[in-house]
Amino acid sequence: MKVERREVALSERAETIRQLLHSDGNRLGLISSINGSQLISLVLSPNEGTAVCWESPLQTKQYHSLVPVISEAHWFERTMWDMFGLEPENHPRLKHNLLHEAYPSSLLPLKLGFDSSVDGKSEGTGDNTGSGAGNDSGEGIVNLNGRDYKPMAVRGDGIYEIPVGPIHAGIIEPGHFRFSCLGEVIFNLEIRLGYVHRGVEKRLCEVPWRKQRFLVEAAASDSAAAYALAHSIAIESLFDRSVPQKAEFLRTISLEIERAAMHINDLGGLAGDIGYLAISSTMGRLRGVALSMAEQLTGSRLQRNFICPGGVIFDPCLKLRDIKNSAHQLRMSLQPVMTFFMSNEVARDRMENIGKVSARLTADFGLVGPAGRASGERYDARQHFKHGVYPRIRVPVAVETDGDVLSRAKVRIAELDTSLFLIEQLIDGLPEGDALVKLPDSLPKNAAGLGIVEAHRGELIHLVFTDGEGKCSRYAIKDPSVNNWTGLAIAVRNNLVSDFPLCNKSFGLSYSGHDL
Amino acid sequence: MLRLLGYLLNQGVVTSKDYCAPLEDGLGLPEFSDRACAGSQCNECRSVCPTGAITVDSGENGGEVHLDLGACIGCSMCVRSCPQETLVNSKKTAVARLSRDDLVISNVDRKVPLSLSRSTESKSLFYRSIACRVVSTGCSACDLEVAACGNSIFDMERFGIHVVASPRFADVLLVTGPVPKAMHDALKSCYEAMAEPRRVIAVGTCATSGGLHRGGYAEANGVDSLLPVDLYIPGCPPHPWSIIDGVKKVMDGRQA
Ligand code: SF4
Ligand code: SF4
Repeated sequence: MKVERREVALSERAETIRQLLHSDGNRLGLISSINGSQLISLVLSPNEGTAVCWESPLQTKQYHSLVPVISEAHWFERTMWDMFGLEPENHPRLKHNLLHEAYPSSLLPLKLGFDSSVDGKSEGTGDNTGSGAGNDSGEGIVNLNGRDYKPMAVRGDGIYEIPVGPIHAGIIEPGHFRFSCLGEVIFNLEIRLGYVHRGVEKRLCEVPWRKQRFLVEAAASDSAAAYALAHSIAIESLFDRSVPQKAEFLRTISLEIERAAMHINDLGGLAGDIGYLAISSTMGRLRGVALSMAEQLTGSRLQRNFICPGGVIFDPCLKLRDIKNSAHQLRMSLQPVMTFFMSNEVARDRMENIGKVSARLTADFGLVGPAGRASGERYDARQHFKHGVYPRIRVPVAVETDGDVLSRAKVRIAELDTSLFLIEQLIDGLPEGDALVKLPDSLPKNAAGLGIVEAHRGELIHLVFTDGEGKCSRYAIKDPSVNNWTGLAIAVRNNLVSDFPLCNKSFGLSYSGHDL
Repeated sequence: MLRLLGYLLNQGVVTSKDYCAPLEDGLGLPEFSDRACAGSQCNECRSVCPTGAITVDSGENGGEVHLDLGACIGCSMCVRSCPQETLVNSKKTAVARLSRDDLVISNVDRKVPLSLSRSTESKSLFYRSIACRVVSTGCSACDLEVAACGNSIFDMERFGIHVVASPRFADVLLVTGPVPKAMHDALKSCYEAMAEPRRVIAVGTCATSGGLHRGGYAEANGVDSLLPVDLYIPGCPPHPWSIIDGVKKVMDGRQA
């Protein structure tokens, strides 16, 4: 979709953004910078289905933090500090987010002039002016002072800390959790991420645009279809092109298969953590059905290399009948299993009133996806922003109001059913025609493109800028987990340590999508 | 409760009996057919490959293509673009190799076809069971596939493969992802905590070579830049069968 670019002076930025966010259901999309010489704040208007990118030129690397007026800005400002060296003043708890002590303090990957060379050695711009490449070599020199990280200290009689990670006990991505507890009760959870930071956003500006999509899909492959779709929409909007109806349908089918597969995975994980193994193993099997649908559609269990700028790579028309049958059967087999799951007293007891997030904090921190909708937030990007057949085709929004683990499970169960039903409908209504249009070879100059997609975790944003030569100068990705990690930290407060795995699973967050 | 048991019994046995069966709908990694390559003036496959896994030279009898499966993400763009059908989708899952060099295949010298598994005569230390510690440093797809090995369809436990929660109990370290800089120390300390004899398996293209992330400032260049790797399982992500087959090759391997 097209994004309107407007300028707002730095001195008026906080007030302007605050006012915008307090009117007619506007939302904060993301806050970042293009190359460290400006701040960009993307404000979405879901009701109109539009977005405005507010740019504020910077003279120095300091700016006034938005956090005192807009809480959800806190995470973005931490990331900007790491990637551009921009320092927010009055940020209540500024600390590094992506780059920790392993990286030299001079490393500012996305700042203008920083060059990441091809053979594993990198040079950082050490100087504050940001002109040209500096000469601090990154080889093994760790500047502990520059990358200090102090978790919040909770003090008091009997309070102790449980550090967990970065390597976890199960088969999941790495991250560090630090619980401050009294007895069995969690007082505070500090979440430290960045362990799978691979420099994806930087690399996206270095590769030719036609090869960007492979990297985008591999950034967080459990959302490969959603990432590929957001990328494609962003690129198509740069060219001001739309894709054939058939492609829109096939893309939506792919997106909904991914949603179904991941919701099954998350619900199965929840049952597993409760110890309800009959359900978790059944869900493991049923996820296999969803993955075979994915494989039939795209040739890949995780739907890699299917959705691309211009449409879809190939037209899987011969397989669609089988996929429709599988979707129908899967939907039928899930119904009794979900009834067993939700009617089990013990399972309900483990989920009810556990890991609550209030509607107010949900709004303040901008939680998205099932996590937001479990706390009464109605926002679902499929209702508002153009991607696939949405918002033309309306899907029912699953909303719960209790904000606990059970609500998040219920939202997923309802969405899962809708997705499978939708897949059948879309296959029935598939239009004739081509599924791919050719796009020009070079990107337009000085343009901005935006893609917003409701991934299985919630709103995913890709924002692309090109420079005066038509090269991609900035590729910003906002994974839904960026909003929702804070939600997890809120949810576990005053809950038992032993309920943490459940709370965690009920959010089902991505580390790699956050770290990039 | 009884109704649930009834439901479960009704599902029957879903475990797949076909060990490493060819993929039906999946494409698998590319391989070479018998058909000759048009040579370096064509170069189509090389120019579309997102990871630089392919080189094309002109030889005596047409083109000589080298393909590094360890860098390949299986996107199949080379297969789609090849006008000669020299490159085809292998649809195979037994893709693990003991050395990095073995992952480089060529249309001229095809001594190691994709499906070959290296079995050895005498029994190894881990031949009955093997305990795996999984360390993830990647995009979670490889982890999902490792986890899928444990579901009732693939059921790796029937082959004696277990996942354990501590390196102290582990015989083999399964590493997924390209190991970016922030994970270097954590991964090394995990390896150090394992008792000898121990093995390391690089699961996935990222772990094998860094894949798409190789060469960036995050120094995410794969496992063997940090630890000695005993087996590589290419694929992005590898199929659960590829992972099971890889672990079994380590179980069957001799050098204790
Ligand atoms: S399938 Fe592998 S070798 Fe072929 S283009 Fe894709 S990454 Fe390159
Ligand atoms: S090999 Fe592919 S699936 Fe595995 S971690 Fe890397 S990008 Fe993800």
